[in-house]
Amino acid sequence: MLFSSIPFLYYYLPVFFVFYAAAPGKWKNCVIFFGSLAFYGCAEPKNLILILTFVLTGYLGGILIVHEQSRKTACAQGRKTACDQKNKDAREQKSRDTWEQGKRMDAQQRKSGRWCLAVSAAVLLSFLGYFKYADFLLENLNRLTGLSIPMLRVVLPVGISFYTFQIISYLADVYRGDVACQRNFIDFGAYVMFFPQLIAGPIVRYRDIAGELEKRTHQIKAVYDGVTRFLLGLGKKILIANAMAQLVDIFRASDQKSVLFYWIYAAAFTLFIYFDFSGYSDMAIGLGRIMGFHFPENFNYPYLSGSITEFWRRWHMTLGGWFRDYVYIPLGGNRVKKSRWLFHIFIVWMLTGLWHGAAWNFVIWGLLFAVLLIIEKLTGFTEKIPKAFRHVYVLLVLVFSFVIFNAADMAQAGSDIRGLFGFGNLPLYTAETMYYLKSYLLTLIAAGIGCTPFPKYVFAAMQRRSPGVFSLVKMVGLVMILLLSTAYLVDGSFNPFLYFRF
Amino acid sequence: MKHKEKSLKCKMKLLKHIIPLLVLFAVWGGIALFCWLKPEDDFSVSERRRLASLPAMSVDSVLSGEYFRDFEEYSLDQFPLRDAFRVLKSVSEFYLFGKSDNHDIYISDGYAVKIEYPLDKSSVRSAVKKLNYLYETYLSDVSGNIYLSVIPDKGYFSAEQTEHPAMDYQALFDIVKEGMPYAKYMDVTSMLELSDYYKTDSHWRQEKIRDVAEYFADSMGASVSGKYEEHVVEKPFYGVYLGQAALLLENDRIHYLSNDTLEKCTLYNEETKETTGLYHFEKLESRDMYEIYLSGASPLLSIKNPIAEKEKKLIVFRDSFASSLIPLLAEGYSEITLVDTRYMSPTAVGDYVDFAGADILFLYSTTVLNNSETLR
Repeated sequence: MLFSSIPFLYYYLPVFFVFYAAAPGKWKNCVIFFGSLAFYGCAEPKNLILILTFVLTGYLGGILIVHEQSRKTACAQGRKTACDQKNKDAREQKSRDTWEQGKRMDAQQRKSGRWCLAVSAAVLLSFLGYFKYADFLLENLNRLTGLSIPMLRVVLPVGISFYTFQIISYLADVYRGDVACQRNFIDFGAYVMFFPQLIAGPIVRYRDIAGELEKRTHQIKAVYDGVTRFLLGLGKKILIANAMAQLVDIFRASDQKSVLFYWIYAAAFTLFIYFDFSGYSDMAIGLGRIMGFHFPENFNYPYLSGSITEFWRRWHMTLGGWFRDYVYIPLGGNRVKKSRWLFHIFIVWMLTGLWHGAAWNFVIWGLLFAVLLIIEKLTGFTEKIPKAFRHVYVLLVLVFSFVIFNAADMAQAGSDIRGLFGFGNLPLYTAETMYYLKSYLLTLIAAGIGCTPFPKYVFAAMQRRSPGVFSLVKMVGLVMILLLSTAYLVDGSFNPFLYFRF
Repeated sequence: MKHKEKSLKCKMKLLKHIIPLLVLFAVWGGIALFCWLKPEDDFSVSERRRLASLPAMSVDSVLSGEYFRDFEEYSLDQFPLRDAFRVLKSVSEFYLFGKSDNHDIYISDGYAVKIEYPLDKSSVRSAVKKLNYLYETYLSDVSGNIYLSVIPDKGYFSAEQTEHPAMDYQALFDIVKEGMPYAKYMDVTSMLELSDYYKTDSHWRQEKIRDVAEYFADSMGASVSGKYEEHVVEKPFYGVYLGQAALLLENDRIHYLSNDTLEKCTLYNEETKETTGLYHFEKLESRDMYEIYLSGASPLLSIKNPIAEKEKKLIVFRDSFASSLIPLLAEGYSEITLVDTRYMSPTAVGDYVDFAGADILFLYSTTVLNNSETLR
């Protein structure tokens, strides 16, 4: 079930919020847990057992890590005779105490939970590997060896990449003693399966919302802000992203391609992926806000970046943060010799590419960023060129990178890039190109402006000048977005969602 | 003073958050409640289709995900004020986002036109192959003449002026003509213009194609008077494009032409075994009023003219465009048989149709030829 769907907007969500509002205090997490279970069940009824297995793995993994660390701590203190009793005590300790103890642990003691972390993470990654990468590996193995091992053709469970990473981040944080282990299964389940961020992020780390899982406030302003954010995300997704996706599809179906059409396609896909993903993130953040949670931001006007380094600080920020904290830094980060550091960057970006999809074009896409980041870091050239050129450079890189990203395979990526340069005797433009350019021009312009903080500045200025009128305009605007989005959905318009495949 | 400030703050909070939130919840919740409580509709008049009903729940359908897919379809089909929301979408596409079409349908001079683009050469060749099968199986030995005509869709007349994409019509005509060299081609493009078609529908208007009928009759050696009384159906006609694209357009009116001869002609429907007049007035109550002409889509029809001057037979392989044209040829023939191979297997045609001494007319629109998977 997509957020941008009639069943979600008018069947699931109202019922969920009635239960949520009616549930007292601590029971709200129970509503989140079972509500999220129902949400996932609507999308992937067959994979309910799988996601519950993940939740259980994470839950038990966290407890075992803390248990093991407590046991080793007690033993290390030489209280051999009290060891068993200590173990029992450790199991019964309140999570907060354990956390405090964890924080006091030295590196040696912390290491004692390593195998629990490793086993739990291995279990989760094995599932992810099986569902997401098995066919990719088999295909390449067949190619390399000439074997013909049949493909598994397993369907990727919705959101598996997101909730795998969330649980791993939780386990790693518990292992490091950064957060307390969650001993309440419902609360832990509510965190992992929390439907706003379950299937497409942002990747919310347990430590981001641990406090709010325990205790949170529900304020009118927050609810209104949450509804606002949700509806803006809905509008971004349905009114802009879907239109861009339509244009992309029209380009793909066209048999009269031109150089200009290739550029329109590249721009449309670049805008589509931003509005699609950031729209979904906005909806998730908004829903979280309504329920008193503060999810981390996932996008910060990435297309305004002056370098690729900056772009990745503004694009899918929660994924970038995850790879930084759980792969790059544990590998040693940049506090190693240069060759090793470069190796780390390649590893991280290859994994980032693979996270987005099990295909070589995603690997190449990731490695392209690795190369550019290294060049930027080593030469610092983006600081030396005029600001305008920096933006042109970033936008060109992004357009090319997303052309690779969206290609079905490397052959198509090559053909698309050749098309951008006019290879293959392509005309500069055709009547068809001009027709679709004209037809989508307003949406393209609106999308282009929507990528910048300009609308935000305008609204802020309006609010300063006339707060009352602004409130009215905002309310009418939000109602219009809801009605228009509903109209587009009812008309059965095009409604793909890219990040569903991750 | 403090009290005043507090009261002002309260008012601001009310204005800024509470009232907008209440309005939003009222709209959102109201629609949601309407979704839950609205009785099911069986049929959409504007879209001319049956609407999905609430799927039955079973363990299998839930586990396979089928139930939720069907439920989504149900929720879209049964959405309250569905037609109004579709119009809202269509209007915003054209006037808010400046799109040139909605669901590939655009408006040109008040006429809804479907973009037929690009030319699908393989589809046209496949259509020709299917028609050639009919020729090779039934017609290669017949003594009568074989005629062929392709009726352009509205895009032929509007696309150039409006710069909307349109198929290469000439290429389509050439493929058909070259693929059916045994048939004498009758070109009608110069006799038609956009106003000869309905504003909201794909078809041509019977009252506007008298010249086409006379040209066909002349070309095929038949004699028609060309004198008719024109009747207008009072009930408004909402064409297929109106529903497909949820457009805000004026409705059309159905006109039909008649004279003494046409009133004496009978129409036999092989499928229903019914004999009626050429115009089937009961169809004015059906989902498609265009079916008034020769009772609409039927695999096999036979028109008999009891007062024909001479014995002259015509067999027409056709699509729906023929329904409004063929009555105007009825005067010139003692018998006209209409075969629609979209609804009848070509292999079965010989069991029902006697080709001896008959002239043959292949009459198809560009839309059907470019989407020939509908032809058997």
